[in-house]
Amino acid sequence: MSHNGFQNGTAIVIENLSFSYDKGKPVLRGLSLIVERGERLGIIGPSGAGKSTLLLHLNGLLMGEGHVEVLGQAVGKKTIPEIRSKVGLVFQNPDDQLFNPTVKEDVAFGPLNMGLPEEEVHRRVEDSLKAMNLKGFEQKAAHHLSFGERKRVALATVLSMQPEVVAFDEPFSNLDPHMVRQVVEIIKGIPGTVIVVSQAILPLVSCCDRLALLKGGRIEACGSTMDIIRDKALISASGMDFDFYCDICRRIHRNIS
Amino acid sequence: MKHSYIDKYGDLNSLLHKLDPRAKVLAFGAALVFMISEPRGEVGVFVFYYVLIAAVALLSRIPLVYILKRCLMAAPFILAAAVLLPLSRLSPNVGKTGLFTRENLCLSLSLLLKAFGAVILLTLLVSSGKFNNLLRGLRRLHMPSLLGSMFALMYRYIFLLNDEMLKLKLARESRTPGKLRISRFKVYGNQAAMIFLRSWKRAQVVYHSMLARGYHGEFPEYGRLRFVWSDGFFLAGFPAVFAVIRIWC
Repeated sequence: MSHNGFQNGTAIVIENLSFSYDKGKPVLRGLSLIVERGERLGIIGPSGAGKSTLLLHLNGLLMGEGHVEVLGQAVGKKTIPEIRSKVGLVFQNPDDQLFNPTVKEDVAFGPLNMGLPEEEVHRRVEDSLKAMNLKGFEQKAAHHLSFGERKRVALATVLSMQPEVVAFDEPFSNLDPHMVRQVVEIIKGIPGTVIVVSQAILPLVSCCDRLALLKGGRIEACGSTMDIIRDKALISASGMDFDFYCDICRRIHRNIS
Repeated sequence: MKHSYIDKYGDLNSLLHKLDPRAKVLAFGAALVFMISEPRGEVGVFVFYYVLIAAVALLSRIPLVYILKRCLMAAPFILAAAVLLPLSRLSPNVGKTGLFTRENLCLSLSLLLKAFGAVILLTLLVSSGKFNNLLRGLRRLHMPSLLGSMFALMYRYIFLLNDEMLKLKLARESRTPGKLRISRFKVYGNQAAMIFLRSWKRAQVVYHSMLARGYHGEFPEYGRLRFVWSDGFFLAGFPAVFAVIRIWC
């Protein structure tokens, strides 16, 4: 799998997807989006735009009106078990993702549910923990770890399922700059298709091939990362303006040099 | 957030900690049955039971203070039952003999000794290993899977509830200079409601994350339990001593 050039075929096709919680105000309104295999797509948008809701549709946790197709299979009741083994979701708050008494059991939870033999589960647990630099954490309880460690464990729980699509919900929130950098590197190193939902546009610029702007339940714009961030009017109108941070960086740079 | 009060002594390196959880569950369960099946009013025989329990407690290396604290938590209920027991056996002669007869005292004392003995045994069982290991043992002993899932989720949600409680407590205290006035006690009520609402909301997200990783109603088991000769020896020996006391003493 290559990260520089997209693989052949599409990973996700979403057509005219609409969804509202408990017959309330619509969150997604006729959203359409295509994600190529092997690409890293960033989805940006203001709070309440429907970013997290969209992610929950990718493996059938929510099912709205419209068509969602993942790796050639339409998301429906019959295909859900298979799709869930192919699409890994990394939730915003690691505490929502870790519910087993030990790290090892949490990482093994997904592969065991997939019905894999114990030797294979064991190998995957070892590999995922190693990839997340968590060797020696096997018997620890998740609630005794630091936030950064819990975030890595949460990611290991998904990687152990070896999903073809990994979707991150706000992976940079509540992280210190060092951890943000680590997560960016982790995202870059994931083989397969990656979708990252975030309000933090700067880390996305460094790890995504393409950006989609979600606003009011629809995809407002979608294109290469550079094309999107160059369109200042679009970024500003969607409330994702990052000039403020650029100005600070310029001032710091001037003072240092 | 740190929650060290559960599984606090689960990592100790004692003989009791090393035992297979299945052996412990069965041995402690059988011992408990022998002890609580002592006839009502028996008191003297409990010296033997308590010596045995004390020996196991020493073997476990779990601090005595911790065990006593657990007993203290159960004390109000046990004491209430012990005090009320004579009242349930009022005889027509109660006017002459009074309530505090030797027989009634023995009855209450016997109840106290049985109940506290049971609390200590269960404390030793639960605290002499990780909770998840105990759960695995119970599952291998064919505990209904629904019950197993309930215990596992309960264990998880205790931390979740506690997290939410601590966050709300910090938020309240940071805006409460001095002591909270009695007139503002309704704050506690609102806070309790908020804890449940927040926990419910978070529980939904946790459930979503479980479904996302293929959860279909049962917690899968991971890792093997090893039943070795020392487990067999404990399983046979520990209840046997209780049985001897029960039968011969």
